[in-house]
Amino acid sequence: MLDQTVSREVFEGLSATGELLFYLASAVATLVFLVGTGLKFRKYAHGRREDRIGDRAGFLRGLLRGSAEVAANSTVRKRDTYAGVAHAAIMWGFIVLFIGTAILTIDTDIIPFVAPDAHFFWGAFYIGYSVVLDVLGLAMLMGIGAMAWRRLRFHKPQLDYRRVDISPATTDRRGFVAGDWIFLGWLALLGVSGFMLEAFRIVAHDFPWFEVWSPVGWVLGSLMATVGLSAATAETARMTLWWSHAAIALAFVAWIPFSKAVHMLADPVNLGLRSPLAGRRLPVLPSIATADGHIGLRDTFDLTWKQLVDADACTKCGRCHAACPAVASGAPLSPRDLVLDLRQQVDAEWAILAPLHERRSDREYGLAAPGGNGHAGGNGHAGGNGTDGGSGPGVGAQAPGGGLLAGGLISAATLWSCTTCLACVEACPVGIEHVPTIVGMRRSLVDQGLVEPGLQAAFTSLAKQGNSFGQSGRTRGRWTEGLPTPIVDARRQDVDWLWFVGDFASFDARVQEATRLVARVFQAADVDFGILYEGERNAGNDIRRAGEEGLFELLAEHNIGQLSKARFRRIVTTDPHTLNTLRFEYPQLGGSYEVWHYSQLLAALFDYGHLATRRRVDRRVTYHDPCYLARYAEVTRAPREVLVAIGARLVEMPRNGANTFCCGAGGGRVWMDDSGLAERPSEQRIREAVALGGIVDFVTACPKDLTMYTAAAKATGNGDSLVVADLIELVAAAIDLEPITAEGGDGPTGAAGLAAAAHGEMAALTATTGRGDA
Amino acid sequence: MEFIVLLKQVPDLAEELEIDADGTDLARDWLSYVTSEWDEYALEEALQLRDQAGGSVTCLALDTGSVDELLATCLARGADRVVKVGSFERQPASHVAAAAFAAALRDMPHHLVLTGVQAIDDLDGQVGPLVATLLDLPHVSVVTHIAVGPDGRTATVHQEYAGGVVAELEVDLPATLGVQTSRETPRYAPVSRVRQLMKTMEVGSVEVSADGGAGLVIEAMSVPEVSATAEMIAGSPDAIAERIAAILAERGIGKAAVR
Repeated sequence: MLDQTVSREVFEGLSATGELLFYLASAVATLVFLVGTGLKFRKYAHGRREDRIGDRAGFLRGLLRGSAEVAANSTVRKRDTYAGVAHAAIMWGFIVLFIGTAILTIDTDIIPFVAPDAHFFWGAFYIGYSVVLDVLGLAMLMGIGAMAWRRLRFHKPQLDYRRVDISPATTDRRGFVAGDWIFLGWLALLGVSGFMLEAFRIVAHDFPWFEVWSPVGWVLGSLMATVGLSAATAETARMTLWWSHAAIALAFVAWIPFSKAVHMLADPVNLGLRSPLAGRRLPVLPSIATADGHIGLRDTFDLTWKQLVDADACTKCGRCHAACPAVASGAPLSPRDLVLDLRQQVDAEWAILAPLHERRSDREYGLAAPGGNGHAGGNGHAGGNGTDGGSGPGVGAQAPGGGLLAGGLISAATLWSCTTCLACVEACPVGIEHVPTIVGMRRSLVDQGLVEPGLQAAFTSLAKQGNSFGQSGRTRGRWTEGLPTPIVDARRQDVDWLWFVGDFASFDARVQEATRLVARVFQAADVDFGILYEGERNAGNDIRRAGEEGLFELLAEHNIGQLSKARFRRIVTTDPHTLNTLRFEYPQLGGSYEVWHYSQLLAALFDYGHLATRRRVDRRVTYHDPCYLARYAEVTRAPREVLVAIGARLVEMPRNGANTFCCGAGGGRVWMDDSGLAERPSEQRIREAVALGGIVDFVTACPKDLTMYTAAAKATGNGDSLVVADLIELVAAAIDLEPITAEGGDGPTGAAGLAAAAHGEMAALTATTGRGDA
Repeated sequence: MEFIVLLKQVPDLAEELEIDADGTDLARDWLSYVTSEWDEYALEEALQLRDQAGGSVTCLALDTGSVDELLATCLARGADRVVKVGSFERQPASHVAAAAFAAALRDMPHHLVLTGVQAIDDLDGQVGPLVATLLDLPHVSVVTHIAVGPDGRTATVHQEYAGGVVAELEVDLPATLGVQTSRETPRYAPVSRVRQLMKTMEVGSVEVSADGGAGLVIEAMSVPEVSATAEMIAGSPDAIAERIAAILAERGIGKAAVR
């Protein structure tokens, strides 16, 4: 029964000329495809070198993880199940139909020449083939329908193509919309024409029994027969449709490299090459300086091949756009548009700019932009008569590229808007690494002398005093004054835990209260810890992210030198920003440490019974995940465990965990002017918490958060109803820590002298209180 | 066009200043130093003028043994040359400094000599005028706007007087100017560039004799006495805020805010 008649003829009804014509057309389509992808590869080959392999095991793990993500569509499904399922249906439908076509090619074009007896496209194989292709083809069409419905009806903010950095009148992105619909429509046409073709074939052959295993074609054919389609008419229609289907398919192949369809190729690669340290560990400056000595990502020549692949990988899905706090607060930055601008600029330079690109009246992509803004002579270096910050004139003439990016295509205001919260990188389903690219361009801004005024003041203070508060670095330990039990100077005495305090915790008046509580809670739990006092300087995380690489190196080298004088087992810090750079970046500069966040230490202290709740904090609280804790360090459980341990009733905000929303202070933003924003991210976040209803405490676990949200609660008029508190303040209340009675009223100098004298003597005392082995 | 900028360092006010044991000077052991703010304005103006009119900018500082970073920063900002002048234990008084600068400038082409109008550590404002006198050049102090004439023989400068009146003065070149402010905030010098230059820069040096005296002797230095009418509020931020609120309430100021 399952003999060779259970099959179909591949080129049925086609003349030899017809077949030849088809092969010719296939060859042309393939050639166009290869030229298109070849152009891309040529572009990548001209990118700056970047080692994406590193150690081989890690590289392989990355590839495996990327492949798994692609296969499962897990990154697409994250936080958008609808889109994830629909995309998986389309993707797997397309892949299986493609494999189906490849099988036909093997059986028709290869088998007859190499092993005629091995012809296999019949019988049980044919039936299985028919079912699988029909089901997945249908899945693909349903996926396309779902996606079209989503685009038409859902009004998703991420699909809003309006730009946030330039006036809508200057830009025309209708090409983007057209491109999206052509892509979806083309795939739909491919599927529909395939099924129609199948139906016509079944009608023309008068419904052979085994074709019931092509269920979609069978049902469609039955419908056609019911409305009176004869076998002869069906055959004529089939031939016409066969050519149409072939044309649609071949044209699609040729069109892939020039459209968003290229993501089918670029995105698996990009996901496989994604670095788990993207944003967490920024690249050090190349050891070999550029010919003209410039630093950072200044022009398109400075883009690495991976950054070029990143740009091609973008599907305009807009998830970064919807997640970005800059977009939400009305700042002139959208990570989506930044990536699209880079892509369009580079493609225009390489003359592979596809149709349906963005058209702007204020600039022409591909031309080296007239040099930047700001200082006319910003690009000063020894002996140089600084002209403008633009690219060297000679370079642009030799090869494509060289368009000014930092301060040119991407304006300084756009680049300074980034909080480096990593929401874009976390949200991106295709592994684009926006933040390192933005920081790369900020490095160039700093190099060109185009520094935001507030940032310049902070840099100047940091370079001189090691803090951004304009305070003498020698007063860094002054917050310890008035503590009933002094804190050990870790430079003089061995400790288990080296507490790296950080700038805000040391100098900000509001945060100092929390800092003192941290010290007292640690002391209450018998934690053997010490600090570096005036030996500590800002760890440099946000300075690095603001693009001041030299200043970061200066601070890091200083801190590593101080840490090398101290003897300790682990580092603990309340500041997630500090945590990030100590953990991920200091090793590059010779300082490798085990670094804990204080929420992790607190959780462990409760766990081991070193801390115990005496008075439950029986209140409705919500917890704000700091970006640098939840996304960078991926710590989300520890602070929640602490809240549970103290008996708080935790109510989650809609955006929590790795999906947290930035307070707006990261990446150096805390030093910059934020008065131009429509609504500060921190204020939006407070509203999000207030909308939960009945929240008493807005709990944070980051010094900058404490200052940002204290201000935001007041600014939104919630200062009286909502208490912005650091985690430690709830813990201190829960363990019934006694308030400090003495108010240190003998003036700063007196207290300073006292504390300084106390370091030496009292330190010995503290050491005998034993080592907590948490 | 040769632009010369005269710079010096002053104590960083982020540090808490203390008087030394003799009571005639600051306790310098703990001090850190920054470039005098007005000298930075002078450098920024010189760089802007150089970029417009062409030429080069040369920065001069007296060699007190700790001016390398200052000079590297000048280069990082775009200066063309840096020169250390003489050899001094520490920053001398204006008369000595001016004599040293003038001696250096005698063998150095100069069309426009710019320096900060004064510095916070002596409020003397004399270096510019003294250099001008020694070199027999015209001098304008407290300059807020500088433009070099098209022929390069004159410069037009502004002085702002009380009551919002601005005078425009024309001065023949070469000349010296005491700069009050620059048209733009002094540009940022990236640390990586400064550090690189600290290693690689070429620093010129000029020998000068360090005689001459200021004719002034500091007899005593002290922190101003707390006046009887002022109340110093000490304590925690909360306590300070409470006290301020109480004082305001006492005097009937800002009642709504106090509540």
